[in-house]
Amino acid sequence: MAFLKVFVRKAIGGLVMIFVVASFTFFLIRLMPGNPVTTKLNALLATGTPYPIALSKVSVMYGFVPNQPVWQQYLTYLGELAHFNLGESISYTGVSVTHIILSAAPWTIIMVLTGVIVSFVLGVLAGVIAAVWRNSWIGQSSTFLATFLHGIPQFMLALVLAYVFTTVWRVFPFGAPYNAAIQPGWTPAFLGSLAKHAVLPVAAYAISGYGGWALTMRSSVTSVLGDEFILAAELRGLTRGLRLRYIARNAFLPLFTTLTLSLGFMFGGSVFIESIFDYPGLGNLLTTSIGAEDYPLMQGAFLLITTAVIVANLLADLLYTAIDPRIRRA
Amino acid sequence: MKSAPLRRPLSDSEIEVSIRGLSVSYQTSTGLYDAIHDLSLAIHRGSITAIIGESGSGKSTLAMAMLNSVTFPGQIRMGAIDYADVGDITGLSAESLRRFRGEHAAMVFQASQDTLNPLKRVGAQLLDMARSHGHRDRKAILREGSLLAERMSLPASRVMAAYQHELSGGMRQRVSMIFALALKPRVVLLDEPTTALDVLSQSHVLQIVRAIHEERHLTTVLITHDMGVVAELSDRVVVMYAGRIMEDAPSQDLLRAPRHPYAKALIRAIPRLTGPLDRAQALPGAPLELRQIPVVGCVFRDRCTLRQSICDEVTPVLREVVPGHRTACHLEVES
Amino acid sequence: MATSPANVQSFYVVKRPNAFAVAWKVIVKKPSRVIGLILIAIFVLMAAIGPMLYPPVLPIDPLAIYAAPSFAHPLGTDFQGTDVLAEIITGARFVLLGAFFAALFAVLIGTSVGLVAGYFRKWRDSVLMRITDLFLTVPSFPLLIVLSTIWRFTSPLALGLVLGITGWAGLARAVRSQTFSLRERGFIEAARGIGLSDWHLLTREIFPNIAPYIVMNLLIATTGAIYSEIGLFFLGIVPFSTNNWGVMLNMAFTQSGAMYTKSGLLYLLSPLACIMLVTFGVVLFLDAVDELLNPRLKGV
Repeated sequence: MAFLKVFVRKAIGGLVMIFVVASFTFFLIRLMPGNPVTTKLNALLATGTPYPIALSKVSVMYGFVPNQPVWQQYLTYLGELAHFNLGESISYTGVSVTHIILSAAPWTIIMVLTGVIVSFVLGVLAGVIAAVWRNSWIGQSSTFLATFLHGIPQFMLALVLAYVFTTVWRVFPFGAPYNAAIQPGWTPAFLGSLAKHAVLPVAAYAISGYGGWALTMRSSVTSVLGDEFILAAELRGLTRGLRLRYIARNAFLPLFTTLTLSLGFMFGGSVFIESIFDYPGLGNLLTTSIGAEDYPLMQGAFLLITTAVIVANLLADLLYTAIDPRIRRA
Repeated sequence: MKSAPLRRPLSDSEIEVSIRGLSVSYQTSTGLYDAIHDLSLAIHRGSITAIIGESGSGKSTLAMAMLNSVTFPGQIRMGAIDYADVGDITGLSAESLRRFRGEHAAMVFQASQDTLNPLKRVGAQLLDMARSHGHRDRKAILREGSLLAERMSLPASRVMAAYQHELSGGMRQRVSMIFALALKPRVVLLDEPTTALDVLSQSHVLQIVRAIHEERHLTTVLITHDMGVVAELSDRVVVMYAGRIMEDAPSQDLLRAPRHPYAKALIRAIPRLTGPLDRAQALPGAPLELRQIPVVGCVFRDRCTLRQSICDEVTPVLREVVPGHRTACHLEVES
Repeated sequence: MATSPANVQSFYVVKRPNAFAVAWKVIVKKPSRVIGLILIAIFVLMAAIGPMLYPPVLPIDPLAIYAAPSFAHPLGTDFQGTDVLAEIITGARFVLLGAFFAALFAVLIGTSVGLVAGYFRKWRDSVLMRITDLFLTVPSFPLLIVLSTIWRFTSPLALGLVLGITGWAGLARAVRSQTFSLRERGFIEAARGIGLSDWHLLTREIFPNIAPYIVMNLLIATTGAIYSEIGLFFLGIVPFSTNNWGVMLNMAFTQSGAMYTKSGLLYLLSPLACIMLVTFGVVLFLDAVDELLNPRLKGV
């Protein structure tokens, strides 16, 4: 049926994007000044490693053999990619990149999604308030707050939050996902520590996204409130509950565009927030891998971040298609 | 021109809707202005009353007021709107008003308006409306809806399953009629039933309206700016200008012999099928804007060829010049 | 009828309102706009002449690390004892120049893509939109981080170029949809009917209609670019050539322990406050630009 067709079409589009991004990082490494592959190879040779062993080490790290023609390397790379083999890390010698990024991924994904959900719920509520009471001080102050917060750059917010709540008022601990002294496990102590450390970063994500949701919801609700079918529903004597549902469902539709943009923005913001709060997530991994010249790891982290965004966007797109009958027929 | 036959002398019919001293005002940045001022009107049961006027005359506001639905920043400032067996709807509680709308009196919207929730099917919305009024029998409601659809030459099952964007303007208006009639109201208001429709559809719509009016013994109120609709369909016509009634008469009488200068000008402006085209004369000037409406004196005076000094000083009272025929003019003008 | 030159003059000379006079009237209509203009002017001035007011290397004072605000140091000092105010003033140029270039490139690329896609449609539209979608989906900061490995963007121009290349997609989408709707309007059909070329239509008919939107976006993009730039410096991705607001933030966070002492507050907050003030100024002033350029609002 139509829904399945749309899903397949969008899924293929997503895969193509992932493919393009993967290829991009492949060729990027080759464009780097002082080809890091040959650099690594020469470094290994310089330590006295026999050539075949050095060659095989580098091919494992980068996922291909350096002396082959580029096209062959490219195909090998893609083949490895299809098997989820992203090579080995240079800074964490011998450890597969896939393993590193997959253990880092949950930190990023859980934080970002929590942040998105919190900002969505609060923002949507604020937007409804701002729209329904737009002629009184309640609505106007809600709008002002949203506009103000929307204008603050994300990392600024994170810095200020970190500074105010860890240094000025020592309310929350600073840095790290949990207290290193506590043994990880499903214990209340550990979980409590996790939660305590997570408050500020999640707040940073949430507050930076809040403004966008509130403003979009406000304009959407205001627009729907003026729609003729709402008046018609009132004139036909529909109950208040039904009318509110009519308004809500229609007002939510434009928010989906905001959702896709917001997800990309949040995941991208992880490079800051994880850096500021010292979380071992993908964003932090990306930043540190550059400093360590660990290019396979950089490739892997970038690819995973982008894939996460693409997948999230795909889900949001599908949700939208499921809700809006006008699109389904197209 | 044919006009609908009168069923019985109007003074004998009971009054279905009685509007007394209605004033609807709008709050603007420069003050409070009356879009409708001290309007009184009796609508008899079983009649088809047309309310005619240019844009800005207040006719649409009157229609909304008749369901006590004047939208912010407008409000009913004064007056009463009495429905037989219901009472004054300006004093009803919110819940009673909600039940009144759609069940006792209903509105049919213009063809150009999107009056349906774009996310739900027609049938589902019909059920929503019925449920809101306590009707729980799904089958009965959908059957009634389908019957009405067929009555209006619409493919019933397709329409019930359709979304708004799948329907044309004419179809949407007929769906609007289905919604208005589904709960069997006593009073039906039609807002510009022929605007935005092509000529064939217009004719069809008018036929349907007349047929259903007779079948269901409705009291119908038509809002229009088209004198042709008045002639074709209505028993009585009320001419509005700047929020006040200028003339209120049986349609035949108004069309043959209008008394108020405005009504005369409206009739004069209609081109005839025969005779020279320039026999039709447009009325010079433009309708008044809300803020320009004079509070004292005749509101029509700026465009009236028979203006006297008294017209500037004293507001004419709407009075019966002949039984059943009211006019608001200082001069008794025979045409 | 004999007319003297003076009579003819008074009949036929139409007084054209001075463009500046018109603009000024619109600006002073609301005090918020004037405030916005003043803020922008302050920072532009800072960028233009700031570095000229101080020696190329600002003096350090090991005795006055993180000093409290005083007459000599209105915003206190940093971890090396350098005056924070001086750093702010000299640090404006790089940031604002870079942001301006970034906005310029983003607008140039985005507008061109949007116009071509919206006007020619069909395959050009499909291809361009796929590319636009790609740039919209891939998160820009990770992309910038990855790009920094092959490109050392040290000058404001290079930085502006790379920010522009990563940031044009949103504008392209918007320009495309505007071009779409303009194209549907009768006057385009009519113009094609009389044989005007596509190029002519694009430059003379369509572009002037979207120009106001583009100017507004240029301003908005500048504020977004400032934030992106500072972010890049903060992460340490861009090599430091001179001190600027972003470098200050980076230093405050990573090296100097400003995060751990209360006296480091001003050092941390000053660049942040400047970013916000510039953004605020642009937002307030944008209102005036909107009214000036939007033909539908004129004369209301």
